[in-house]
Amino acid sequence: MRLGSGIRKLLRQPAAVRDVAREVDEELRFHVETRIETLMTRGMTRQAAEAKARAEFGDLRAAHDEITAIDRGRVERERVADWWEALTQDVRFATRALLGRPSFLIIASMTLALGIGANAAIFSVVDAALLKSLPYADPDRLVSVWPDAAMMPGVFVEVRDANRTLEPIAGYSGGTAVSMTGTSEPARLVMSEVTSRFFDVLGVRADVGRTFVDGEDLPGRDRIVVLGHALWEQRFGGDRSVIGRSVIVDGISRTIVGVAPAAFHFPSPAVDFWVPISLDASRANIGRYWGTSHLNVIGRLRRGVSVAQTQHEMAMLIDRARSSFPWRMPDAWGTGVTVVPLERKVVGDIAPMLMVLFGAVAVVLLIACVNVANLLLGRAAAREREIAIRASLGAGRGRIVRQLLTESVMLGLVGGALGLAVAVAGVRALLLLVPAGMPRIAEVAIDLRVLAFTMGTALATSLVFGLAPALRASRPTLQAVLGATRSVAGTLTRRRLSEALVVGEIALGVILVAGAGLLIKSFWRLHQVDLGFRPEQVVAADIPIPAFPRDSAARARLFYAAVLERARAIPGAKSVAVASVLPFGGVGSMQSSFAADIEANPVAPGGLGPMLVQTVVSDDYFRTMGIPLKRGRGFGATDRDTTSAAVAVVDELTAKRLWPNASALGQRFKPVWVRPWVTVVGVVGTVKRDSLNSAGEVSVYLPMGNLAGFWFPTQMTLVIRADGDVGTIASRIRESVAAVDPSVPVKAVRSLDDLVSNSAARARFTMLLLATFAVVALTLGAVGVYGVVAYTVARRTREIGVRMALGARARDVLAMVLREGGMLTGIGVALGIAGALASSRVLAGFLYGVTPTDAAVFVSVPAVLAIVALGACVIPARRAARVDPVTALRSE
Amino acid sequence: MPAASDLALLQGTLDVLVLKALMFGPRHGYSVATWIRETSGETLNVEDRALYVALHRLEDRGWVESEWGLSENNRKAKYYELTTRGRTQLRAETTRWTQYAEAVFKVLRAAS
Repeated sequence: MRLGSGIRKLLRQPAAVRDVAREVDEELRFHVETRIETLMTRGMTRQAAEAKARAEFGDLRAAHDEITAIDRGRVERERVADWWEALTQDVRFATRALLGRPSFLIIASMTLALGIGANAAIFSVVDAALLKSLPYADPDRLVSVWPDAAMMPGVFVEVRDANRTLEPIAGYSGGTAVSMTGTSEPARLVMSEVTSRFFDVLGVRADVGRTFVDGEDLPGRDRIVVLGHALWEQRFGGDRSVIGRSVIVDGISRTIVGVAPAAFHFPSPAVDFWVPISLDASRANIGRYWGTSHLNVIGRLRRGVSVAQTQHEMAMLIDRARSSFPWRMPDAWGTGVTVVPLERKVVGDIAPMLMVLFGAVAVVLLIACVNVANLLLGRAAAREREIAIRASLGAGRGRIVRQLLTESVMLGLVGGALGLAVAVAGVRALLLLVPAGMPRIAEVAIDLRVLAFTMGTALATSLVFGLAPALRASRPTLQAVLGATRSVAGTLTRRRLSEALVVGEIALGVILVAGAGLLIKSFWRLHQVDLGFRPEQVVAADIPIPAFPRDSAARARLFYAAVLERARAIPGAKSVAVASVLPFGGVGSMQSSFAADIEANPVAPGGLGPMLVQTVVSDDYFRTMGIPLKRGRGFGATDRDTTSAAVAVVDELTAKRLWPNASALGQRFKPVWVRPWVTVVGVVGTVKRDSLNSAGEVSVYLPMGNLAGFWFPTQMTLVIRADGDVGTIASRIRESVAAVDPSVPVKAVRSLDDLVSNSAARARFTMLLLATFAVVALTLGAVGVYGVVAYTVARRTREIGVRMALGARARDVLAMVLREGGMLTGIGVALGIAGALASSRVLAGFLYGVTPTDAAVFVSVPAVLAIVALGACVIPARRAARVDPVTALRSE
Repeated sequence: MPAASDLALLQGTLDVLVLKALMFGPRHGYSVATWIRETSGETLNVEDRALYVALHRLEDRGWVESEWGLSENNRKAKYYELTTRGRTQLRAETTRWTQYAEAVFKVLRAAS
């Protein structure tokens, strides 16, 4: 009785609020009418009775309103209380149910933690790189002008002064390696040259001191510097009194005026400090002002101005600037000016890669969900009777679904909490793995946004994996109510659902593993690429020119000659050379190129001559790098004399491109702006320059000893081919350089092998993550297949017993189970291949030497999947084959 | 003799009368009104409006519960029933009222 009323109370449908008024009305009408009837039986007329009843009652309308208000409050309160009571009851019940089966709780929550944690980790990277707005004031109004090209200072000044859409506007250089002296020990740092309003555009204020003010990019006022926060702390001890002190940057004394905030890393985290670029339009600087110096341009949109308007104006202004050049620009110059939101430029081309990883990790989570859903289905079978009893006591289907979903949600929350731990570890691992130059990586952290994402994912997934089993389990089964031990019909539909889940799981696994397979093969192909040089056993160290003015080419030449002399003496150094830039040089090494005139093939006025990549090298460069000489000669003693004829060595690609129908030897070319012709004396093999998957660039080598019209580079890289161990040589390089000039900083000694493999870092990162996800998917898939087959076998023990009693042999039973497992696998694999073929196209941009439909991958991946899945069937199949018919028939 | 309506104004008086009316079992509102009127010998002529407000307020406090049922004349009527808490409340109020009334009597007797 008490229990009955308790349940009835629990399941009571709360009266809808609008019913309250109707009930009050009814109640009061009953009173008044009954009173009238009573009075009439005492002999009153109807009219008199009505009047008396109303008088006795008082104000009927007011009573109605007052009572309705009281009742509404009560109903509302009861509803909240009921809801809360049901919730606490559900939670208590779910806790008991989960803790009652700890093995289920552990397996399910760990599976979820893996899926949720991996998602949260990837999300933190995606969030930092793509979703969070830039950490600058009003970031929506920041744009980058001509993001894939750069402006000469002369053009920038014209655009700055004439434009009406951007205010303020600024230019900056991406970063140059320079030497800083005049403080403690000399250091090799990265500097960005910026125009005076650079910090104003971004809306950044100095942490200490000030940033640059308008006009400080003019000659005479530009000898100042703003330090990066990290540099200030490391080299100046975070001392606030550094303001006003001087440092020497590449031989030029500059006064420190400020320190940038700690979070400020524009244009890249590699930049250590900023100096004003000198916008010097004087004759002496004309080549730099109109030619070799380049600025990336950013600006802030004026209110109400659109990106399209700005783009229109910029195209017009840049076209107009053409006539300001002191020489004729090629007709092709200045076309294709674009303006894009700064965010797009900062993020660059990372988005597709992150989206692929995010998609892959979401698939892993989906597979984890499927596994948990299958576990729940299996559990629901065991709880059939319990659920039937609850239903018979009056619990509605909705109530039971809610109860089961509460359990799923709690499971999801436990998984989410554990997932957070996985995410913390995952992010730490990711930060170790991310390729250099990944945008905004400093902003990656487990913050509130990631926390919200994790918990949101946990809740969403718990609904995904919980809903189907809950709906399935809550369907009333008559047999269960009647006390039958097993409900055959229920088992059948449940098995169908599990099987469908497993098929889906295998299909998803195929898609992921196929994607990983493609990337692995692509990565392997990258490593098969012929570099054109032999990086093994070669070490490299960047060595800047000492702090004397840049134009003393003669002194620079002597300095490097002395360094080479010392380096040759290092024990184990087989061959030694310097070069202005190495293949795969990395950050801070600037590859320079120039527009060339070719004697045999003159360019018409207004046409664009070929752009040649130049490398200044010492005599033994080709030998040291292992670049084969194909024709003619390399550089030698005769090329160390500035009075001899200017010569160059070109690579085979250049020879073929520039002189397709003749021998390159003896041909002549020159930079468009200088006089003497340079004669080709040799042809060497083509090398890969920036990356393994790039096509070669047309490049020429110039001898360090005789540069003719070219500038001497501000930095050369020492390369040493070792006889034996590379490690000991690396430590001796610093000593050799210090012996020549102790003020010259040597930043990093790297092996050429590392430089090459770093260039493939992004490919390796994507491949590594996708491969990890694929392995997780494969493992979860195998567990899923195993679970379902094992469960089916367990449920069919009796049937198998009957079959064996009727003469089936163990082999037949084994074959039967494997056939069923194989069927599921087959369907899953077929669907998976279709899905993979459809989705692998998104990988096209990441593949090298492999098509998205690579036959080898699409044959081997399904094979691997099939083997793993069938392997997972073997254990339960063997168990089935060992069933003893007698025990099996007795078991129920 | 003071007017009956004045008595009704006393805070909580009506509540305790209603609770008392329900002591012997469930009643609908009309029956509560009739019972009070008849038992007090028509002295306490309570306005019906106040009575219903009191009933609903008591339900709001959890001292009575209501349920729809059939009346003697076969019509749908709302029946009220004391809850356990209502019964406790009635006992407490009765004691308080008795003490109060006795105190008032004592004073009145002494003064006369």
